[in-house]
Amino acid sequence: MSVTESATAPAEPAVRRLTTARAMVEGIAQEMERDASVVVLGEDVAKYGGIFSSTAGLLDKFGPQRVIDTPISETAFIGLGIGAAVEGMRPVVELMFVDFFGVCMDQIYNHMAKIHFESGGNVRVPMVLMTATGGGYSDAEQHSQCLWGTFAHLPGMKVVVPSNPADAKGLMISAIRDDNPVVYMFHKGIMGLPWMAKNARSIAPVPPEPYETPIGKASIAREGSDATVVTVSLSVHHALDVADQMSAEHGVELEVIDLRSLVPLDREAVLASVAKTGRLLVVDEDYQSFGLSGEIAATVAETDPGMLRAPVRRVAVPDVPIPYARSLETAVLPTRERIMTAARELVRA
Amino acid sequence: MDDKTRLELYRVMVLSRTYEEAILREYHADKKPAFDIGAGLVPGEMHLSAGQEPAAAGVCAHLRRDDAVTATHRPHHIAIAHGVDLDKMTAEIFGRETGLGRGRGGHMHLFDPQTHFSCSGIVAEGLPPATGQAFAFQRQGSDRVAVAFTGEGAANQGAFHESLNLAALWNLPVVFVIEDNEWAISVPRGASTAIGSNADRAAAYGIPGQRIEDNDVEAVYTAAGDAVARARAGEGPTLIEVHTVRLWGHFEGDAQGYRPELADVPGRDPIPAYEARLTDAGILSAGLVTSIKDEAVARVEKAIDFAKSSPVPAPETALEYVFA
Amino acid sequence: MTDVRFPQLSQEQPDAEGVLATWFVADGDQVASGQLLGEVMVEKVSGEVLAPATGRVRLLVAEDQTARQGELIARVE
Repeated sequence: MSVTESATAPAEPAVRRLTTARAMVEGIAQEMERDASVVVLGEDVAKYGGIFSSTAGLLDKFGPQRVIDTPISETAFIGLGIGAAVEGMRPVVELMFVDFFGVCMDQIYNHMAKIHFESGGNVRVPMVLMTATGGGYSDAEQHSQCLWGTFAHLPGMKVVVPSNPADAKGLMISAIRDDNPVVYMFHKGIMGLPWMAKNARSIAPVPPEPYETPIGKASIAREGSDATVVTVSLSVHHALDVADQMSAEHGVELEVIDLRSLVPLDREAVLASVAKTGRLLVVDEDYQSFGLSGEIAATVAETDPGMLRAPVRRVAVPDVPIPYARSLETAVLPTRERIMTAARELVRA
Repeated sequence: MDDKTRLELYRVMVLSRTYEEAILREYHADKKPAFDIGAGLVPGEMHLSAGQEPAAAGVCAHLRRDDAVTATHRPHHIAIAHGVDLDKMTAEIFGRETGLGRGRGGHMHLFDPQTHFSCSGIVAEGLPPATGQAFAFQRQGSDRVAVAFTGEGAANQGAFHESLNLAALWNLPVVFVIEDNEWAISVPRGASTAIGSNADRAAAYGIPGQRIEDNDVEAVYTAAGDAVARARAGEGPTLIEVHTVRLWGHFEGDAQGYRPELADVPGRDPIPAYEARLTDAGILSAGLVTSIKDEAVARVEKAIDFAKSSPVPAPETALEYVFA
Repeated sequence: MTDVRFPQLSQEQPDAEGVLATWFVADGDQVASGQLLGEVMVEKVSGEVLAPATGRVRLLVAEDQTARQGELIARVE
């Protein structure tokens, strides 16, 4: 590499930015380089590179023995991942859409998640189950769900939900290195795909070397003192946009907590923030009732409800299937408008 | 088949039956006068394998300790035939801290990493992980094989079909063994399965399939020998269906009112039949039979004593072992 | 000074029109030869734009702007 030197001091190379999809792939690739027992399995993961680009380029780098297209047999290939993991491999298995879990959930929650416990810790299942989540591009009821509440609810599997490229890579590396089953849930809207609506925070600096982002630790995406917004995934982007606007227009400073992991859940981070601000807004693109948002509210209520100066607010998908018509889908998703309205009401309460 | 092999098949079947008779005794001992499933030293469901010993003995005779086996809710005969530690298995069935799973799994969730044995209470769902173990063995370049046992009722579950297709497609070293004991709890095979023999389903996946009649341990041994050899040689999966007999209920406490031929069932016991066959062949004598049975009883009672004298897991440890 | 052109994604239509989907670098950034500069789309196919040389990049087409295959989209100085 030759660098043309100018009369002034040499320029620094630009910080390297990647989309979330490319960052995820880099995480997988670096682990595959380091550890020959890592293989990738799923539908359309080989030549196609994953329909949401989660495995793009891996086939060319590692070949068909390690990047493997499966038939449409989720029960079989997820179960195959379990058996391979039990015998010393580290499979990364893709469930194309999280909405498809219905056809294979037994292998996931009754086997992958329970074998370690049932065996008194004698058998490990070091496997990553990665899956695409989320709506906002009119894919309707069966292809737009988030469902992390469902997975987080069932004991025995870790659940990580990155919101940005750097965390996507670090959490993938941590997930592969973890000796436990980790469900890695990536929102299609944060992947930075050229064929979906643009989202500025989907492209961001990513360190080139391998690194681990700790599973079970939330990150403070933005500091503030007037109210706490606890959220995950694409909603982090929306919450940050709302926070910028609230600061500029109303001088209100929101603190945004990006949970990053649901299992284990960083309850301490939530409590520390609410203790500071006294106001809590949970934004969750999963269904409202019986899920993540209720869990966050309960965490505060059962620790010290006196922390709260106003009732907890939740902006989630209401308990309806996600509609096709754009006007209806927009009405149910946790959009910036809904978040802004809730945040304004929260700080005035 | 040489005499030594035949005698060993008999010995394994006797050990297995002796074990099930002891568990039967222990299970019911403290559930009287009326059956209470949650009572006693071995509470919960209990699915015993009396009558099905030939399938386990005939197949597992060809396996090494490092071959993998997955089984179902009725696992004891298979575990014994594959060499799972009897003391730790019994302690697990009794829910003790010294059990295979420290008491966390119980009789339907026995995991022995030493022999790569596991079982699950969800029928047919042990087939996909077995194909995964076979996948790992193939990738690791060894000649190890995986064997997945399931029932004829489970052969209608999606996991069965998906697993056969995937194993065939990827030429995995796995043997699928169906124990056709004619009853899926209370539903006879003819009321659940569209075709007469599950072995015929193998053709749908392009793999060899064979059905063994008469619960014949030596026929199982021969068929399994071929299947395991094929798998070790990299020739892919095989399906074997063994027509066997469930001498007792689906679970203990099952009155079997749905089973019209109940009076004839004890006459189909494969062990006295095999004993007679080996006696006629001069391989067994009355004295040898007695000594084999006494040895089995001693071994089994030792395991039961070990279990009963082992500690119960402390409630404070209930949340442990979720994650590594 | 090295030209950076919109890649040929469609062989059948050499001057097919597409979109400059994403820039991974900003105008004026220092880039290294081979570095991923951006992503383009022609209909359903996406392609990468790699830096042909080391130097300072000048972006000539904005994100989401249409451009034809072969068109000049950036320069590396």
